[in-house]
Amino acid sequence: MSGTDEVYVVGCGMHPFGRDESVTGMDMAERAIREALADAGVAWEDIGYAAGGSDVSGKPDTLVGRLGLTGVPFVNVQNGCATGASTVLAVANALRAGEASLGLAVGFDKHERGAFHVSAARYGLGDWYAETGMMLTTQFFALKTQRYLYEHGISERALAMVAARAFRNGSDHPLAWRRKPLTEQEILDSAEVSPPLTQYMFCSPGQGAAALVLARGDRAFDLCEQPVRLASLAFRTRRFGSFEVFSPWLPPGPHHSPSVDAAEAAFRGAGVRPADVQVAQLQDTDSGSELIHLAETGLCGHGEQEELLSAGETDPTGRIPVNTDGGCLACGEPVGASGLRQFHEVVRQLQGRAPGVQVPGAPRVGFTHVYGAPGISACSVLTV
Amino acid sequence: MTTRLIDEVLFDDGDPPRLAGARCSGCGTVVFPRQDSCPKCSDGAMSAHVLPVSGRVWSWTLQAFAPKPPYRPPSGGHRPYHVGYVDLGEVLVEALLAVPRAEIRIGLPVRLTTVPAYRDEDGTEVVTFAFRPDLDGER
Repeated sequence: MSGTDEVYVVGCGMHPFGRDESVTGMDMAERAIREALADAGVAWEDIGYAAGGSDVSGKPDTLVGRLGLTGVPFVNVQNGCATGASTVLAVANALRAGEASLGLAVGFDKHERGAFHVSAARYGLGDWYAETGMMLTTQFFALKTQRYLYEHGISERALAMVAARAFRNGSDHPLAWRRKPLTEQEILDSAEVSPPLTQYMFCSPGQGAAALVLARGDRAFDLCEQPVRLASLAFRTRRFGSFEVFSPWLPPGPHHSPSVDAAEAAFRGAGVRPADVQVAQLQDTDSGSELIHLAETGLCGHGEQEELLSAGETDPTGRIPVNTDGGCLACGEPVGASGLRQFHEVVRQLQGRAPGVQVPGAPRVGFTHVYGAPGISACSVLTV
Repeated sequence: MTTRLIDEVLFDDGDPPRLAGARCSGCGTVVFPRQDSCPKCSDGAMSAHVLPVSGRVWSWTLQAFAPKPPYRPPSGGHRPYHVGYVDLGEVLVEALLAVPRAEIRIGLPVRLTTVPAYRDEDGTEVVTFAFRPDLDGER
């Protein structure tokens, strides 16, 4: 399995997530890239194809001015929460197409504090929608979670269990932002934002950067002792009837998420089943999102989440460890960087060198999932 | 005191005004506000379609903190308010819910109303659509 059609991760790097006024988005990206190159034992001059993504912190291809003007093709990606996955997809496809044997993907962002700014016109909506106070992402996640709990008989305590596990994992992770464990009760008792979600059930916009070096199969094993195979990567946009942010109306249902399509395609492409996954990263913009994504990706059935959480099955020592680095809840959400943070964590877990808590038993199959506005999702399967 | 609707495109000409959506002649999809093409099929033509005035709360939440601009708070300033989706049968519509916390729940029968949104600089009261509890709907 080391042919030219196969693509492997041979190096990864990450700038700590959180808040650090002394560095720019580009500074963090540069550091993550240099770390990834060093991890792979290669030089920037060896990179034959690059892709980078950032939502608000600059044009990624200008990084060549810092790294070296080698003439390398460098694609810029701006794909919301799927930005990181899109950069990996662009590089992987270029490697498979024979454009290069070694490529680099980078994602970074540095956001202002507080809820994301939105513009009604940018989403094709009238000014009335924002003026009347309906254009908030927090409301959307709350409305979706409220309905989901109702339909599947899940309690609000399950939301607190998700956040408590995220902060527990984050507290052990040197690159995470929120490093203080919180009890379920502290999470339930924190400020009400939009019920059923409280303050500590939401991630915050933050900053960070992560980068991967990818290699074609014929190079991967020369460069890296433990290359991690990108067994599949699928990116999907929404179809009719998905329940998405900033929707003044919805069809009566059923509501079909792009996460379902992306996960099915990723598992099919890799030839593995959801039950084979031994470490997973799921988009946890808020606790409810992770609950929903657990089932939409097929990692459990709808309504089974609370039992799974109660039994500790999503803990690092459980049957299906989820967000072992604390996810967006503990790391924050720099939109362009989070997808590559997920890859970084899964790659390091599969290599047995997790920066935080290592999943025991030498996991061999990992999974990543991102989801964002306006109805996009990307999933990958990584194997060793 | 003069009042005006926040955006006439959202309403029909009636008194009281009803919500104006559009319906696809091809697949029957109902959208709100109205738009000229069907998001589901490419076959049909969209025509004006007045939405039902009563339905049930499909999901709800509270907006606890004051949103950033372009949100325009009512003349008395921001106070936490409820929003949700109302199931009108053929379509779910997102709306402000003029429902007290003690009463709000998924399944609650509600009816279309209007509520003050904000005040123009000349003092004109700007109203928008909302749903309130529908006491008749429990029968």
